[in-house]
Amino acid sequence: MSDVPITNAQVFQPVPLPKQQSALMRGIITILPPLIVAALLLLLYAWIRSNLAEHRLFLMPSAAALWDNAFSRPEVWAELGSRALVTISIALAGLAISIPLGIFFGLLMYRFFVLERGLFPNIVALQAIPMLAVIPLIQTALGFGFMPKMLIVAKMTFFAIPTTLLLGLKSVDRGAIDLFRLQNANWFVMLWKCALPSAAPSLFAGLRISASMAVVGAIVSELFFLAGKGGLGQMIINSKIDFKYEQMYAALIASTLLSVAVYLFFSWLGNRLFSEWHESGGKEG
Amino acid sequence: MENHPAMQSAKDTLNGTFDAGALNKPKGAGVALAFDRVGMQFPDGTNALDDITLHIAEGEFVSIVGPSGCGKSTLLKIASGLIPQTAGTVTVDRNNLGYTFQDATLLPWRKVMGNVELLMELRGYTAEERRRIAQEQIDLVGLSGFENHYPKRLSGGMRMRASLARSLALNPSVFMFDEPFGALDEITRERLNDELIALYLRNGFTGLFITHSIPEAVYMSSKVIVMSRRPGRILDIFNVPFDYPRSPELRYDADFSALCGEVSISLRNAIEK
Repeated sequence: MSDVPITNAQVFQPVPLPKQQSALMRGIITILPPLIVAALLLLLYAWIRSNLAEHRLFLMPSAAALWDNAFSRPEVWAELGSRALVTISIALAGLAISIPLGIFFGLLMYRFFVLERGLFPNIVALQAIPMLAVIPLIQTALGFGFMPKMLIVAKMTFFAIPTTLLLGLKSVDRGAIDLFRLQNANWFVMLWKCALPSAAPSLFAGLRISASMAVVGAIVSELFFLAGKGGLGQMIINSKIDFKYEQMYAALIASTLLSVAVYLFFSWLGNRLFSEWHESGGKEG
Repeated sequence: MENHPAMQSAKDTLNGTFDAGALNKPKGAGVALAFDRVGMQFPDGTNALDDITLHIAEGEFVSIVGPSGCGKSTLLKIASGLIPQTAGTVTVDRNNLGYTFQDATLLPWRKVMGNVELLMELRGYTAEERRRIAQEQIDLVGLSGFENHYPKRLSGGMRMRASLARSLALNPSVFMFDEPFGALDEITRERLNDELIALYLRNGFTGLFITHSIPEAVYMSSKVIVMSRRPGRILDIFNVPFDYPRSPELRYDADFSALCGEVSISLRNAIEK
């Protein structure tokens, strides 16, 4: 065992394992970056504001003005609350149409290949119609009540449901289907015990998209339907008319939070339902 | 079915490349599964199988080895009815078939217990029956204590055990295995070979086993069949003379190695031909 050096060989030294981070440190690393980005965005807002001409300053209210004219006032909170309730009920009513309908069409396309051929391109086409372009027509046909808004939300949230469901259903493990076929299981048994559970995580990804779209859709619909007691969208328009831009900002912030809340709810629900068994689940396998 | 006319044609088909008497195990045993001049042509024109005649007696354990893509799996799918053959006939009782796939095909949203109960559920067993039989099978394959685990938390070998338990729950009379242990490491594979032999001896099913591994085929079976390249034909049939139960020491036995060698040579011919 002589130490004759090998030509061109290098010695590679061991690398000690990095020190385990403390829970506190890991927490800071998760929380800090988004906070820093948010702070930078606020700074950007302040900088743009500082460059605005005096007579345009109302477009970007200061924090103090927001507090004084909106968030410190109980009546603004009350209005935000009651209007958020209207918006969320439009969003949920729309989803109550689009989700069952979307699931129905997804199943139909899965069951009958010829229907997939016939329906799928048309569902894509339906999605491609710009929503705002149809609104005048809807107003003329259906008036200004709750129903047209609900339909607008339904149309905006429909697309993601049959498409993600169909994708999930078509990705069912072939072997699992063979397993059912070997027992002569009929199509409905196979669907209920095999295809649907297997497609559920994919469908839930679609639901998450639809749910956050629903709030956006509800607010957009309200911008065009001002009659009666409306939701956050109406509050935005009214604040513009009344020149209460702080309240407009308050409504904007509230609708963003609402949208995020609905998204988070569906994420949480999906996680709860599937994390134990699905590959995307949080727990380690 | 003892005097099935196809017994004769099997002899003709194979042109005496083997001892035709080997087709039947003990005298008097019926034929559990019979392929008669079975052919398979896929819609794209591929000839997957050509003139397969093979009779498997009740209680036999037959392995099929052959080059990749020679139609071994297709043969199982035809036997089980998953796809219909395009020529010839298959004779088998499909009401009591067991079938394991190349992977465990457990339903990931069901725990081990739920997976083992699945086939009984489809067959309309009562909840108590299902629970009782599933527990028996789980104990039998050595998964006790894992009843409430989801498949994703199990190792490959344990998943395969759960898959076996699921099929065994119906106590199949004919059990087909489509390369069940191909994805497992060698130690696990050999252990599962022994466990499967024990289950075979205990339940007395007729086995049709597909594998890429020659030692596995010889170790498990009473008969090893070598198939040709596509279109798959039966080239050779080897009788395995060793008595059951087989002990792991058999793997180091000279006669065992010699037989593996013969099968290996036949398989090499199959690939080169």
